[in-house]
Amino acid sequence: MQPSTTKTQAGAPAQTAGKKVLFPDKKVPAKQVKSSGLTNIAGLNSLIIFTVLLLAWISGFASRLFAVIRFESIIHEFDPWFNYRATAYMVEHGFYNFLNWFDERAWYPLGRIVGGTVYPGLMLTSGSIHYILHSLNIPVHIRDICVFLAPVFSGLTAISTYFLTKELWSSGAGLFAACFIAIVPGYISRSVAGSYDNEGIAIFALQITYYLWVKSVKTGSILWATLTALSYFYMVSAWGGYVFIINLIPLHVFALLVMNRFSVRLFTAYTVFYILGLLFSMQIPFVGFQPIRTSEHMAAGGVFCLMFLIGGLKYLRTFMTKAEMKYFGGIVIGITLVFLTVLIGLTYAGFVAPWSGRFYSLWDTGYAKIHIPIIASVSEHQPTTWFSFFFDLHILVTTFPVGLWYCIKHINDERVFVVLYAISAVYFAGVMVRLMLTLTPVVCMLAGIAFSGLLELYLKEEDREESGTNAVEEESDGEQERSPGRALYDKAGKLRRMKHEKPKGNGDGLGANVRNAVVIFVLMLLMMFTVHCTWVTSNAYSSPSIVLASYSNEGGRAILDDFREAYYWLSQNTHTDARVMSWWDYGYQIAGMANRTTLVDNNTWNNSHIALVGKAMSSNESAAYEIMTSLDVDYVLVIFGGMIGYSGDDINKFLWMVRIAEGEHPQDIRESDYFTERGEFRVDSEASPTLLNSLMYKLSYYRFGEVKMDYRSPTGFDRTRNAEIGNKNFQLTYLEEAYTTEHWLVRVYRVKKPNEFNRPRIPITKRTISRQTSSYISRKTSRKKKGYIKGRPTVVKGQKPQKRASS
Amino acid sequence: MWMMAKKFLIPLWGLVFLLLLSDVSCQYRTKNTHSHSLSERVSQLTEMSMKRPLLKFNTAKFKEFVKATPRNYSVIVMFTAMAPQRQCQICRHANEEFTIVANSYRYANLHSNKLFFALVDFDEGSEVFQMMRLNTAPVYMHFPSKGKPKPADTMDIQRIGFSAEAITKWIIERTDIQFRVFRPPSYSGTVAIIMLMILIAAFLYLKRNNLDFLYNKTIWGLGGLLFTLTMISGQMWNHIRSPPFIYKSPNGNVAYIHGSSQGQFVFETYIVMILNGAVVLGMILMTEAASRKGDVKKRRIFTIMGLILVGIFFSLLLSIFRNKAQGYPYRLVNDFF
Repeated sequence: MQPSTTKTQAGAPAQTAGKKVLFPDKKVPAKQVKSSGLTNIAGLNSLIIFTVLLLAWISGFASRLFAVIRFESIIHEFDPWFNYRATAYMVEHGFYNFLNWFDERAWYPLGRIVGGTVYPGLMLTSGSIHYILHSLNIPVHIRDICVFLAPVFSGLTAISTYFLTKELWSSGAGLFAACFIAIVPGYISRSVAGSYDNEGIAIFALQITYYLWVKSVKTGSILWATLTALSYFYMVSAWGGYVFIINLIPLHVFALLVMNRFSVRLFTAYTVFYILGLLFSMQIPFVGFQPIRTSEHMAAGGVFCLMFLIGGLKYLRTFMTKAEMKYFGGIVIGITLVFLTVLIGLTYAGFVAPWSGRFYSLWDTGYAKIHIPIIASVSEHQPTTWFSFFFDLHILVTTFPVGLWYCIKHINDERVFVVLYAISAVYFAGVMVRLMLTLTPVVCMLAGIAFSGLLELYLKEEDREESGTNAVEEESDGEQERSPGRALYDKAGKLRRMKHEKPKGNGDGLGANVRNAVVIFVLMLLMMFTVHCTWVTSNAYSSPSIVLASYSNEGGRAILDDFREAYYWLSQNTHTDARVMSWWDYGYQIAGMANRTTLVDNNTWNNSHIALVGKAMSSNESAAYEIMTSLDVDYVLVIFGGMIGYSGDDINKFLWMVRIAEGEHPQDIRESDYFTERGEFRVDSEASPTLLNSLMYKLSYYRFGEVKMDYRSPTGFDRTRNAEIGNKNFQLTYLEEAYTTEHWLVRVYRVKKPNEFNRPRIPITKRTISRQTSSYISRKTSRKKKGYIKGRPTVVKGQKPQKRASS
Repeated sequence: MWMMAKKFLIPLWGLVFLLLLSDVSCQYRTKNTHSHSLSERVSQLTEMSMKRPLLKFNTAKFKEFVKATPRNYSVIVMFTAMAPQRQCQICRHANEEFTIVANSYRYANLHSNKLFFALVDFDEGSEVFQMMRLNTAPVYMHFPSKGKPKPADTMDIQRIGFSAEAITKWIIERTDIQFRVFRPPSYSGTVAIIMLMILIAAFLYLKRNNLDFLYNKTIWGLGGLLFTLTMISGQMWNHIRSPPFIYKSPNGNVAYIHGSSQGQFVFETYIVMILNGAVVLGMILMTEAASRKGDVKKRRIFTIMGLILVGIFFSLLLSIFRNKAQGYPYRLVNDFF
């Protein structure tokens, strides 16, 4: 909270500015109703809408800049580094070279076909912005475009959300939704300046596709449906989450069919969208033939067929009698069953791939934990607590069910869509924290509907009763703005209308006090929301995570730039072809900042390769050395937080390395070996010997036993785990320390060549053969090697004792 | 026993010949029943496990097959108390899982004689429990083919649980015998869903003349509200992570709210669900009061009720949130009212 108060203030005015404009917009519908004939009122409406959207854009942009202001214009985290590197490659070498790019610096020795394994939409977007700016002679570095792309797109998201909500409900609700989505933390978390990731542009694509879809369902025009398909194409090129669209739209259509809301509009919209969308989506190399060969896309095809069936039946009904139509019911069911069996048969025969693990784990929630540890290990894939919902959405999470309620109460074709969107998104968000992102837009829309519905009612009659004296200041501003334009005739008209309406309104009712109380209370809630958003953005989502900041008690700030220090060292001091082994989290960063070859990276496509690295990290030094030489590793990089108390370091991730390694090599690595007898994971002297001798432990704590941090704590005191380490004085045989950063956060080791660690040559004269001295001298001679037990009776089996007795 | 008998015999042999004879024959018989040779035991075990993969041992059998040395086979023994009067709820569950493991091992390696699964019930073999110094159930122990069981040969139920997968993993770890769990596919879920479908279909068929309730938006709306409230109060997290209902600390304090933002208790999510629901209700009340036409007084009361509902329950929610998020600076009541 303390950090740099000036920045917090810098963000805050923009926020409140964005909010202030919220107040007049609830008046918009009221005015629309009242004076639709007056053109200058329509003009004022659009002026207000324009201003609100502009301010939403600006405040959304501004509140995403915390990281840039506090640190610098820098790419954040992990995946963005790959995107940035790919974009830079594309800008440098051109688009077609990018599509054909085989990256031999990743996944050594396998390499990675980048062009075919990436969603190119993000790179294309920033690349074309770069191209346009340069052709206008505006020299902007591609990095700055990448950094600011997501904040700029958040404004576009706000605008498309406005249009979508306007189609669904009203323009006022749209403005609310736009303002909400501009600053809601659930979306900011993925779109702060510097987090250059697919999600940043994908949410815009998602919302615009939905808007165009709703529009095409409403109009039934081929133009809108084509536009929907085009924007779907953009979404497919940008994010793997397009699967959500290609399942939600068919679900919408299916629900409409079930609700007996079939229409020619729907038929046109869906068939055009499906065909074009299918063809477009197959143009993306990474997607390829998936739309016709995987189960995730089959629902869309099924609904497409169903659509034709029902369309055909409806057509037949126009010239057939009811008695004749009876036969067709059976035919429809028969055809559906045939389709289903064919599909199941194809799935078993292997022509259609079954649900992939990542999607399957959304339904069977225990699946990933058992079968795919690499998916379960990612913190984004954990289920969501109520705390996260509230943290990311605040007041919206408690009000969007209200919007949902009213959408169901006043259902129509397009509201079916938003209801399905909300229900499915809230389910997915519950299963995976990461999918909170897809929930956020619909929550903003429905909360916008709830708030605008409420305030519209409570301000409208207020306006009618006492048109001049308003409770809210902003309103009177709007009033004054409006009055000079229509001073003469408007008054009369207004008065007359009031006379008409007053008797109708049944003595209207609630009274100014109650109204004002409600309005002020709701405004207060909204203000709390903005404050909450700013706080969350500033505290939780604005850390670049490659530059860390620590705050002293006096408020001073220290920057820990160890990551970049280490990567820079690598890029300057190692051979260009050097291969660096690290855990997969850091693969993209090493490739992006140090420009060195990595073994595994954040694109976790090859589990066994990752398991091999995990095995190397969790074996002892000599076993690890064998793996490392087989993989040609030159340097090993580990993250160690024990010096400064950084909790996201490799020792804390170590158990996942063990687990993933165990999944592939159960003979060599066992998770239980790394626990103490009582099943604890600890690093002090009680730790299990396997852990104390593992490569990761040694690399993290090498020479750490000599360090004494302060007078109270013993040497080698790990501040992250609050323990004195258990294995202090050891030497490394097969590796040597190459570089350790200022705060020991990153430690780089060089893997020795075989001739380096073998025994140093000793002159023959100094060679002595040392024997183990021992006090025990065996009395056995070569003649009598067999041991015996004193006084052991010799028993001959199966012989009766009395025989022996007689003999 | 044979040895002891021998020692005892030697000084006496000249004196009581007849007695001795009978004595020895007696020794022979006991040897026959008590300790077969290794191969005999193995073949017996194999035969028994062909009939039933999970062997049931009493004290005598336990001594014979598990305690006897030498062995060239491993035995996984579950010590349990299945009798109803013992009131061991999890024993039943543990037994099911263990049976799955035993079956799937037998299914994979039909004639194996390396690994056997056995069960000792407290009421049939309480001596065994005394011998092993056990006072809890269920306990899983591995008796390796060589040597005595080490501490790690007792499965840590607290840590890894006793699901069939966990047991299998542990067995593989201890014995190096590879096999996979083959769970008999559970049709209970599918059957339940089909039953539900049939019920719904039957219900619709019976009411086919009056299907208006399907068009009742209130029902659908309530359903939607219930679902969203369930999800946003984190029930899915409960389903996946299965946290305790409430937390009872050793000194008798009861915590209803999990202290950190990373976790939650089941009871806590119910509270949150109710709070969320109350806020939603308040909002709807306010909107309805303003949009309906009718008795002014009633509407006014509804408005105020809605206002109070939203205010109180949202600030409650916020205060729970503040408890969990350390350093969260905002609150509703103190700052604004």
